[in-house]
Amino acid sequence: MSNAGHEGAHEGRRPARADFHDAIGWTALGLVTVIGSIRMDRLTQQNINPLTIPGLLPGLLGAAMVLLGLVLGVRSWRRGAMHETVAAPDPLARQQRKRVIIATALCLGYAVVLIGHGLPFWIASSIYVTTSILVFRRLSADPAERTLGKRVIAQALVIGVCSSVVIWLTFEHLFLVRLP
Amino acid sequence: MLQGLQDLGAAYVSFMNPMTLLYGLGGAFVGIVMGILPGLSATLAIALLTTLTIKLETNDAILVLICSYVGALYGGSRTAILLNIPGTAANAASCADGYALAQQGQAGRAIGIATSGAFVSTLIGVVCLALFTPLLAEVALQFGAFEFFWLALFGVTMSGSIVGGDALKGWLMGLLGLLIAQVGQESLYAFNRFTFGWDELSGGISLIPALVGAFGLAEVLTTLSDPIERKIVELRDSVLPRFREVLQYRWTVLRSGVIGVLTGLLPGVGEDAGAWMSYAAAKAVSKEKEQFGKGSIDGLMAAETGDMSSIPGHIIPSLALGIPGSAPSAVLMAAMIIHGVQPGPMLMIQHPHFIYHVVAMTTLASIAILFFGLFGVRPLLHILKVRRGILMPIVFLLCTVGAFATASRMFDVYAMLAIGIGAYFLRRRGYEMAPLVLGLVLGPLLDKSLRRGLVLSDGSLGPFFTRPIAMVFAAVTIFTILLYVPAFKALVLRIRAGLGQLLRGMVRRGA
Repeated sequence: MSNAGHEGAHEGRRPARADFHDAIGWTALGLVTVIGSIRMDRLTQQNINPLTIPGLLPGLLGAAMVLLGLVLGVRSWRRGAMHETVAAPDPLARQQRKRVIIATALCLGYAVVLIGHGLPFWIASSIYVTTSILVFRRLSADPAERTLGKRVIAQALVIGVCSSVVIWLTFEHLFLVRLP
Repeated sequence: MLQGLQDLGAAYVSFMNPMTLLYGLGGAFVGIVMGILPGLSATLAIALLTTLTIKLETNDAILVLICSYVGALYGGSRTAILLNIPGTAANAASCADGYALAQQGQAGRAIGIATSGAFVSTLIGVVCLALFTPLLAEVALQFGAFEFFWLALFGVTMSGSIVGGDALKGWLMGLLGLLIAQVGQESLYAFNRFTFGWDELSGGISLIPALVGAFGLAEVLTTLSDPIERKIVELRDSVLPRFREVLQYRWTVLRSGVIGVLTGLLPGVGEDAGAWMSYAAAKAVSKEKEQFGKGSIDGLMAAETGDMSSIPGHIIPSLALGIPGSAPSAVLMAAMIIHGVQPGPMLMIQHPHFIYHVVAMTTLASIAILFFGLFGVRPLLHILKVRRGILMPIVFLLCTVGAFATASRMFDVYAMLAIGIGAYFLRRRGYEMAPLVLGLVLGPLLDKSLRRGLVLSDGSLGPFFTRPIAMVFAAVTIFTILLYVPAFKALVLRIRAGLGQLLRGMVRRGA
C-alpha cells in the first residue's frame, strides 16, 4: 500500500521496550472499548433483534485489540524488553523533538487560534506562513541561514502573503469552495 | 457487448472538449508535483483535489482526481530515477535500476522508458478495467451480507499483513481504523456510539479530514522535525519516450501490466506491491539476472509498468465492489460518494455509463503523463529546491483548507489535527497508515454486514462459513492471519517445499 514518508529510514526495528509500552497502550484501549461496548445501550425499549445491538462490532474489535496487544506484549518481552537499557537520547533525537514541538505549536496556533474566529483567511494564513518560515530559518543548522536580516523577513512576508492570497482566490473565487 | 462499446465510444467523445482536457492536464500537473515532493503522496493529492473540485461537475471532478492519481505515481518515478529518492513508496522499486542508469549517464533513456512504460501499462490496465469491472459487478450482485463481511475483513487483514514489515502492528492499525469508523451514529438504529454527548461526533470522523491528517499533517511534522535538510544538486532531465524499448521488452511490459492489475484487484494491496512483484517476476525469468539493481532496463520497465497498471487495478474493486484497492482509491471512492455516485455492485444499475467514463478518464490520464513526459518535467523538478521550511507550512495551509472544505465545519479541522498528530507519533513508532485508512473506509461496511448477516441467519454463524463465496473469502482471511503464527507458517513452508520437490521430480521423470 502506497504510503508517504521516509520514516523507515531511521526506524529499522523498534526497540523491544517501545513495543512493550505500545502493547500496554493497545491492551488498555481495547479493554476500554470492550467495557464501553458492554455498557452501551442495548435498545431493549425499541424491541430490536438482540443480535444487532450497536455494541456488537465495537466489542469484538476491542476484544481483538486486547488479544493483539497481549501478543505484542509477549513478543516484546521475548525480545528482551525487560533487559534492555534505555539509551540516553542523542543530540539528533533531542533536536527532532524540539523541532516537532515547535512545528506542532505553530500548526495548532494557526488551526485553533487564528482561523475560524473571524479573522479573514488570507490574513491568518499569511501570519502563519511568514512566522513558520522565519522560525524554521532560525532553527536551521546553517549559521548563515539563522541570521534574520530585513531582506529575509521581507522575503518571508512576501511568500506568506502571496501563497495565502493565491490559495484563497483559487479556492474561494475560482472553484467556489468555502474557506474557514 | 456492442452496447458496451457504444457506451465507451460515447464516453470518449464526451471528454473531447477543451475545458475537460484542461482539467485533466491540470489534475495530472498537480499530481506530478505532489509525486515529485518526497513524502507527499497520491492519497494527499487526491484528498486535497477532492475538496478543490467539490463544486465541479461529477465527471470533471473525478477526471481531475484520476489524472492526479496517475500523475502522482509518475512524478514519483522521476525523482526515483534522477535522485534515488522515491517520490512515493510505490516508486521505490524503480530507484535501484533507474538511479544506476542515471549514474551511467543514461538518465534520459531511463526517464524515456519510465514514460513510455507507464503510458502503455496504464492502457493495459484501462483495457482490464473496461473488461473486468462490469463482470465483477455482475458477480458482486450475488454477494450478500456474509460475503461482504469477509471481504471487508479480508481487505483490512491483507493490508495489515502486507504493508510494512510487521503484520501485528499493521493489524492493530487496521483495528484502530475500524474502531474510529464506529464513532458516531450507526446505520441501523441511528444510535450514537462513543460520542460522549458531543453532537459534532454524531456524523462520525469524516474520511477526508482523517486522511489529510494522517497523510498530510503527519508528513509535514515528519519533514519539519528532521534537522538535516537534504540538498538537491544534480538535475539532469530527459528526452523523448522510448517506444522502441517498449517493443523490445514487450513481454516484460505485458507480464508486469497483468501482475499490476491483479495485485491492484486485491483490496489493501498497494501500488508498491504491484511494482515489486513485477520486478521479482521479471528478475526470475530474465536472462540477465545479475544486471538487476545495477541498471537493468528490464527491471526498470517491470517496476514502472507494474506500478502504473495497478492504478486501474485498484479502481476495479472500488467501482465494482465498493471496496478500495488502495489508500488513494479509497479517497477516490469518497469523492465519488460526495458527488452522488455510489460505488459498488449497484453502480452498473444506477449509473451504468459511469464505468465507461472512468475508462475514458484513465485513458486521458495516461495521455496526460505522456504529454508531460514529452515536454520534460525539468521545470517541475525545481520545486525540490524550495526549502521545506517554506513548502511545508504551505502544505499545512492546504491541509487545513482540505479538511474544512468538505463540510465547512471547524470540527473537521480539529479532527484532522488530532489524527495528524496521533499519526505522526504512530509512524515514528513503526506503524503504517494504510491499514488505518482501509479500516476507516471498511468499518461501516463490516458493521452493517455483520449485524445484517446475523439477523438473516437468525444468530447462526453457519452461513458465514458455508456459503460458497463467503467460504473462499473466509478461508483466505483466516489463512493470512494464521500465517503469522510461527508453527503454522513453518508447516506451510514445509508443505510448499515438499510440493516443489514433488513437481520437480515429476518434471524430471517426464523429461
